[in-house]
Amino acid sequence: MHLTEEQLNEYLDNETTERAQIESHLSTCDECAARLTALKTLFAELDSLPELTLSRNIAARFMPQGQLTPQLPRWLTLTATLQAAVALITLIVAAPFVMNLLPAIEIPSFTDVFIQLQSQWITWFDVLSAFQLPTTPQLPALEISSLMLSLTLAGVSMLWLVGNGLLLRKQS
Amino acid sequence: MTAPTDRDLILLARRGETEAFGELVTRYQTSVFNVCYRILHERGEADDLVQESFMRAYDRLNTFDLSREFGPWIRRVAANLCLNHLESQKVTAPLDEERDADERQRPEKQVEVKERSEQIRGALASLPAQYRVVVELRHYQELSYDEIASEMKIPLSDVKSHLFRARKILAEKLHAPD
Repeated sequence: MHLTEEQLNEYLDNETTERAQIESHLSTCDECAARLTALKTLFAELDSLPELTLSRNIAARFMPQGQLTPQLPRWLTLTATLQAAVALITLIVAAPFVMNLLPAIEIPSFTDVFIQLQSQWITWFDVLSAFQLPTTPQLPALEISSLMLSLTLAGVSMLWLVGNGLLLRKQS
Repeated sequence: MTAPTDRDLILLARRGETEAFGELVTRYQTSVFNVCYRILHERGEADDLVQESFMRAYDRLNTFDLSREFGPWIRRVAANLCLNHLESQKVTAPLDEERDADERQRPEKQVEVKERSEQIRGALASLPAQYRVVVELRHYQELSYDEIASEMKIPLSDVKSHLFRARKILAEKLHAPD
């Protein structure tokens, strides 16, 4: 009595509980041993298939480089360009007039500016020195026990943790 | 610095970091492609199914059980998608018809196919859809009979009969005398 196809397949797949009996039969039956060898050859051939490479990189679709540098709307780009052009033209047109006006403007010397700033500072300093805070009513002394302080700190920490948890939660 | 684990990448992807999912795709796209190509034997379709598999995985990321391995899981997703794809195309001919058709084509095919691996791929591709997937899950994803039954939602007896008959057909095609 020879082994069935099912027995040989289950033996090679390690899905049988009759290993000992099958091996015992194989050791004495050349025909079944040959069938097993043929099946093993098929297994080896299936295992020998080489891995092929992809023709395109699927991962690139999940890399959002494009999203990090979004394109500005066309109208905004045009407006900015137009503004820059108008500003440049205005500068070129206005340049001769500005050059004519410049000598008429009196520019104070560095020493004059320094003396002016110093006198201003002395005035501010006098005002600050004379300033008095309004009297505040006397508050009763606040007594905080160490237990109270610990509970408050624990509460604030919990709030902080919950707040961060909410912030880090996946936005759907 | 060590590379992030699959689990780390899944957690990051769940928080919306798509680059992390991109890294997972980079890690597994080749193996997933090979699953699809072994079953479909058509590069363009395999590429499409690889993409669909990862899209499906991305959609299910929030419900993915982190105690499982991502690699084997995504490969099973791909195998199931390929099976659905084949069945929707109705390319699965009844077994006898398939075998007869192949018998007629075999001599020409053997002349055309020079590489042994191509012969094997061709033989695999000629199997009915369910047989291909059973072979894929057993030989390349190393699932047990019970796991295959659970994955394909078919009885254990069907898993065995599909697998053994698939091997018989493959042996006939690949070991037939010239």
